[in-house]
Amino acid sequence: MATAVASTGILLAGWQSGAHIAETGASTTTSLSSSATSDSSTGTGTSTTGGTGTGSSSGTSAKSTTAATYDGAAVPTRFGTVQVQVTIQDGKITEVTPLELTDAERKSAQISSRAAPVLRSEVLQAQSASVQTIGGATVTSDAYLTSLQAALDAANF
Amino acid sequence: MQQTSKNQQLRARTFPSMGTVVGVTAASTAPAQTAVDEVESAVDVVEGIFSQLDLTFSLYRAGSEASRLDRGELTLAYASKTMQELYAEASEWRLATDGAFTAERPDGGLDLSGIVKAHAMREAALSLRALGLKDWCVNAGGDVLVNGSPEPRPSSPIHEPWLAGIVDPLDRQALLGAYPLRAMSALATSGSAERGEHIWAVGSTRPDFAQVSVAAPDIVTADVLATAIVAGGTHSLDQAVDKWGVEVLAVRRDGTMLATPGFRNAA
Repeated sequence: MATAVASTGILLAGWQSGAHIAETGASTTTSLSSSATSDSSTGTGTSTTGGTGTGSSSGTSAKSTTAATYDGAAVPTRFGTVQVQVTIQDGKITEVTPLELTDAERKSAQISSRAAPVLRSEVLQAQSASVQTIGGATVTSDAYLTSLQAALDAANF
Repeated sequence: MQQTSKNQQLRARTFPSMGTVVGVTAASTAPAQTAVDEVESAVDVVEGIFSQLDLTFSLYRAGSEASRLDRGELTLAYASKTMQELYAEASEWRLATDGAFTAERPDGGLDLSGIVKAHAMREAALSLRALGLKDWCVNAGGDVLVNGSPEPRPSSPIHEPWLAGIVDPLDRQALLGAYPLRAMSALATSGSAERGEHIWAVGSTRPDFAQVSVAAPDIVTADVLATAIVAGGTHSLDQAVDKWGVEVLAVRRDGTMLATPGFRNAA
């Protein structure tokens, strides 16, 4: 029962983030955004279980109750791509196994490094006071005169 | 706003070139007068490089080598080495991007101006390093190339990266976000928002993106790919990320955005 509730929770989170991405992105990169969706939704699930570690409560009452195995999504982290397999028995995680990535899965992990739809709140925010230079401001001399870059240059003269 | 530490300062100087404004900002821990001397010698060198290349490549100067080539008074075989090399480089990029980047105008004429500014920045970087300057930022019409840090700490190997704001194409007085320039020390932005529709979309369709920013380890790659993505749309974006591993922030005409991980918050 606990398992069912937990997985419903993950499903719900997945569905919500899916809806959220669909709402921000237009029609163009459908396949990309769906792969990003599954990554991010399962990503939250896997990282929490990964945090508990391999040694968590293994070998509790080895009775022949139903055990289910779930493959997590390949999650790109700053340590590289991580994918785990989680075995759940009696509502408890009994085993977390790192999976070897196949070439096909490596490919799908690569896809997650592609561009995905983002909200403004999801990119690094900055005010002109906190940056030292401005990209994309001034293609023409006239545009430069009224640009943020001109203000920065004047401030640093 | 008062700067917290007076022995760490940014000094900037600008000059007009190639139809836009080029700025050189240098960070220095040296005493004020020395810092001023440093930035002024830096900007002199950079301006020299830009002026020289502009004389050769400007299509707005009737007597330039590029104009003579354009009118057919000169053939590529007899052109200068720089002209030949840049033409070859542009041709390689055209092949590599499946034609999304091209130095040929729709009328068949040759226009290397798309790659000349980035080339000038690349040359400027070589000269600044040769001068022994470590912490600087060159901004040529919104394309950025940096070295070192805006807050150099000679005693520490860890330093703050230069932080580049990305202008909002729908409101040029606002920033969409920012990008910290580390190993990807170059940031180029192309768009159809300024200079009208100066990039021709492949198959003459309306471009997907109003503005595309590309961060790469070198400025020519960043600049070429930003142009290619504006022209080639989502297909070119995916190709650029797969093939060259660059970071991209692309803004669609309706203001929605696509971003690779490096442009997202957590990065």
